[in-house]
Amino acid sequence: MLSQSNTKKSLLREVWKKKYAYLFMLPTIILIGIFSYYPAFSAFYHSFFQWNGYTPGVYIGWENYKTMVQDPVLIKSISNMIILLIWGGILAVTMPLFTAEMIFWLKSKKTGDIFRFLFVAPVVIPSVVGWLVWRFFYDPTIGLFNTILGWLGLPPQTWLGDPNIALYCLMFLGFPWVNGVSMLIYLAGLQNIPSEIFDSVIVDGANRFTRFFKIDVPLIMGQIKLLIILAVIGSIQGFTLQLIMTNGGPGYATMVPALWMYLNGVAFQKMGYACAIGVSLFIVIFLLTYINTKYIRSGTEYEGS
Amino acid sequence: MKVLKEGESEMKDKAKILVIVVLAILAVLTFYPFVIMLFISFKDISQFDHARFTLTFPLHWENYPIAWKQMSRYILNSIYISTGTVIGVLICGTLTAYALARFNFPGKMFFYYAIISLMMIPGILTLIPSFVLVWYLGLINTRWGLWLPYIAGGQIFVIFVLRTFFASIPEDLFESARIDGASELQSFWHIALPLSEHMVATLAVLNILGTWNDIIWPLLVITRDELRTITIGLLAFQSMYVTQWGILFAGYVIAALPLLIAFMFTSRLFIEGLTSGAIKM
Repeated sequence: MLSQSNTKKSLLREVWKKKYAYLFMLPTIILIGIFSYYPAFSAFYHSFFQWNGYTPGVYIGWENYKTMVQDPVLIKSISNMIILLIWGGILAVTMPLFTAEMIFWLKSKKTGDIFRFLFVAPVVIPSVVGWLVWRFFYDPTIGLFNTILGWLGLPPQTWLGDPNIALYCLMFLGFPWVNGVSMLIYLAGLQNIPSEIFDSVIVDGANRFTRFFKIDVPLIMGQIKLLIILAVIGSIQGFTLQLIMTNGGPGYATMVPALWMYLNGVAFQKMGYACAIGVSLFIVIFLLTYINTKYIRSGTEYEGS
Repeated sequence: MKVLKEGESEMKDKAKILVIVVLAILAVLTFYPFVIMLFISFKDISQFDHARFTLTFPLHWENYPIAWKQMSRYILNSIYISTGTVIGVLICGTLTAYALARFNFPGKMFFYYAIISLMMIPGILTLIPSFVLVWYLGLINTRWGLWLPYIAGGQIFVIFVLRTFFASIPEDLFESARIDGASELQSFWHIALPLSEHMVATLAVLNILGTWNDIIWPLLVITRDELRTITIGLLAFQSMYVTQWGILFAGYVIAALPLLIAFMFTSRLFIEGLTSGAIKM
C-alpha cells in the first residue's frame, strides 16, 4: 500500500516537474480531442444507428452495413471508384515522371528552372477554377470540344450529360495531367541520385532508356510508391470533382462512394448510413496504407547521404 | 560537376531541342485553359458569340470591376481563414513538436502515438460527424467553425515533421541556454524556432495552400454569402452571373490571382520546401 502510494506520489511529482511539456501540448490535446477523436469515435458509434444528426438516433445493429451490400447506387459507385483509382495510379507514374525526366535530362539549370516554375505554378490556382473552365469546355452548346467537332464536321456530344462517356470526361479532365507537385517530388528524387552511379553506367555504355529503367526507376521507387499510394487514397476519399462537375450524374454514371456518403449525410439526413459508408472507406484506406508500408518494399532502395 | 559536363557534351543538340519542344508543348497544353479563361474575361456578349476562344479587341476591362465587387469579399474571407488557421497551426504544432522532441515526461509515447496515429484517420471518416459536432457547438456560419477544425487537423503534419527536426538539434545548445538561466519558453523561442525557420515557412505555405483550396468543409459550414471563402464564393458567383461569360471569367481570373502572385515571390521557398526534407517516405 505504502509503496504504491509512494510511486503514485513520485509519478505526480514527475508530472509536476515536467508541467511545461503538458502545458505546451495543451492546445493540441484539447483540439484533437474535440475535433479529431470525438468525430472519429462518433462515426464508428453512429454507424450502428439510424440517425438524422439532430435527435439521439435508434440503435439498429448491423442494419446500415447490410443496407450497403444491397445498395445498387453504392455498388455502381464502387466500380466507378475502382476505374478512377486505377487511372489515378497510372497518371501518378506517367506524365509527372516523364516531365521530371525531361527536365532532369536537360541538365541546363536555367531552362530547367523555367519549366519547373511553369509546371508548378498551376498548383496554387484553386482547382475549382480549372474545373469550372473545363466544365465550360464540355458545355454541349458553347463548349470548346463541340466547337472543335463542328469544325471537323462531326456531330456534337453532350459530354458530361451523356451517361456513357461522363466518367471518361472526368478522367480526361486536366489533360496533359502534369501534376506539378508530383513532378517536383520525382525531380528531387532524380537529383538526389549520386553522380557516381551515372558515371559507372556511362562507362558501361548504357543508353538513356536502359539508364531510365535500370537506374532511375529503382532509385526513385520510394517516390513512385508514395505518389501511387497518395493517388489511390485520393481517389477513394475525393469527391469534390464529382460534386462540382456532375453531382454523381447523369443518373449515377459518375457516382463514387465518398460522394454517396456526402449526399446521404447532408442531402438525405441519413447520417447513420453515411457514417457506415465512411467507416468502410476508412477501413479500406487503412488496409491499403498498412499493406503498403508493411509488405511492399522497393527492390533496391538507395541508402546513404 | 564533372558528370554534369560529360552529360551535357554527350547529349546531342538535336535531342536537347526535341526535349525542350516536348516540354514546351506540355506547358502550353497545361496552361491553355487558363489562357482561354483570360481571353474570355475580356469579352462582351457579342465578342463571345463570334470568337469565343481567341483574343478579341477592344478588351472589355469593365468586366473586372464588376467581378471584383463580388469576389473581393470572398478573397478577404479566405485571407482571414487561412491566416487564422496557419497561425493556430504553427502555435499548436511547434509547441507540441518541441515538447515531444525535447522533454522526457510520463506518458510521452502515449501522446506521441495519439497524435501521429491521426495521420492514418482520413477526413472522409470524420466529415459527417464533424459537421454534426460543429452544428451542435453552434459554429455553423461562423469563422470559428472553419478555424478550429482546420487547426486541429493541420497541426498533425506540422508536429510529425518538426518533432524529428527539433530532436536533431544538438542538446548542447539547450544545455548552455539552461545554464544561462533561459526558461523553456525562451529556449523554444530563441533556439529551436530560429533554427527551423525554413522548415516552418515551408509548412506554413503548404498549410495555407490546403486551406485556401478547400471546398467541402466551407460548403458545409458556411451558407451566408458575406462569410464565403473564395472556392465556394466562386461557385455562388458562377450561379449569379451565369451566361454573362465575360464577367464570370473575370471572376475566375480574380480567384486564380492571389496565390499565383504570392507564388511569384515565394516560388523558391515553395519549390525547395516541396523537394527537400518535408516530403519523404
